[in-house]
Amino acid sequence: MRKVYIAVVGIGLALVVVQHLSSPSSGRAVSPEDFAGACAPCGAPCPVKQ
Amino acid sequence: MSTATIDASQQRTGVGADYLFLALPIFATAILIALVLFDRQPASAGLILGGFALGIAFFKAEFSFTGAWRRFLTKGDAGGLLAGLIVIAVAALVIVPVAALSPKFGGAIAPLGPSLVIGAFTFGVGMQLANGCGSGTLYTAGAGSGRMLLALAGFIVGAVFGSLSLPAFLALGGINPVIASDYFGPWGGVAATLVSLALAAFIIALVAKRRGGGITPSRKMVIGGIVIGLLCIAVFYAGGHPWSVTFGYTVWGAKIFSAFGFDFSHAAFWQWPGPHHALESSILSDTSSLTDFGLLFGAMAAAAAGKPFAAGAWPPARSLLAALIGGLLMGWGARLGFGCNIGAFVSGVASGSLHGWVWFAAALCGCLVGIRLRPLFGLSRD
Repeated sequence: MRKVYIAVVGIGLALVVVQHLSSPSSGRAVSPEDFAGACAPCGAPCPVKQ
Repeated sequence: MSTATIDASQQRTGVGADYLFLALPIFATAILIALVLFDRQPASAGLILGGFALGIAFFKAEFSFTGAWRRFLTKGDAGGLLAGLIVIAVAALVIVPVAALSPKFGGAIAPLGPSLVIGAFTFGVGMQLANGCGSGTLYTAGAGSGRMLLALAGFIVGAVFGSLSLPAFLALGGINPVIASDYFGPWGGVAATLVSLALAAFIIALVAKRRGGGITPSRKMVIGGIVIGLLCIAVFYAGGHPWSVTFGYTVWGAKIFSAFGFDFSHAAFWQWPGPHHALESSILSDTSSLTDFGLLFGAMAAAAAGKPFAAGAWPPARSLLAALIGGLLMGWGARLGFGCNIGAFVSGVASGSLHGWVWFAAALCGCLVGIRLRPLFGLSRD
């Protein structure tokens, strides 16, 4: 199980670093509910607006 | 208040720190913090550190919503369930008024409708099969449970399927969020939220008494509840929104699926501004991912500080299957239900949003079904 953990953390961290460095910088971290029209933490719209 | 998978009390009988697995999460956390600080985002570093502290707190307090809810439903023991309400009460003291008064902050709100109920119910079934909820899966996986690592993988995949299902379920209808501060003002909203918590605690205690169960949380649970509640406030301050867990899983899954060629450009969920931005941007620009990474590594460091890390054998295949199925159900349910125990229940109620209580009631019903299904996978109903 320890080897699995080393692999998961190692590969996962590498993927996060590569994905971060290859993505456009967006400034401050945001949540989907920061965007206009969001009505839930996932950014779903309000029922009356659909 | 513990899950069946991780027991911090075992630390005392350990043989000392596992330095490899103590260094690994600290190194990983340092890398992530360096990356966000290089982008001049101290708030992001704060979210990672907040998550790290939450991982330690959850592990040390052996805080488990899943086990506590199961003990209440099977034995009438309400101590753990009531400790969860302490977390919410502490967080609500700050979140309700600040979210109402400051435009820089927002609460965890969500509409009420079939999607919420179906999602929360499904989540409840899944959390009893997996033996962990959103935060519980993360901290027990981080703390060395290979079984929960599988649950986490299922959670991530299920969340992606949930994101594809959510628009259709939202189309079934619903009503806009009902928020206490909208009706009673910022401070009246706090009072209404605390009254709702007191009422819930009274009903839970009444049921427990009638069933002959205990109602007093242990000292460790009370301290853990207060500390986790305070950390919820810290995460709220750093991120501008209450703590959420499962949107991060959804983004991770969608990015992995995209890497394998899956096209989300026609999926309605991923065209909404928030999810679209998250899919296109760095994973470190998503607030829930930042706290998730921190929590995972915090729990790992806490677990490795006391004994050899992940030294146990893999559980039986049927138990692993339950973890995988439970994870899938939780992931799908979390998207339809607008979050997990943390994002929907804790943060929802702590924001004075009625959907948090609806989520709780539906998830508790789902837990009843999940508990009945546990023996099929060789798991105890207790």
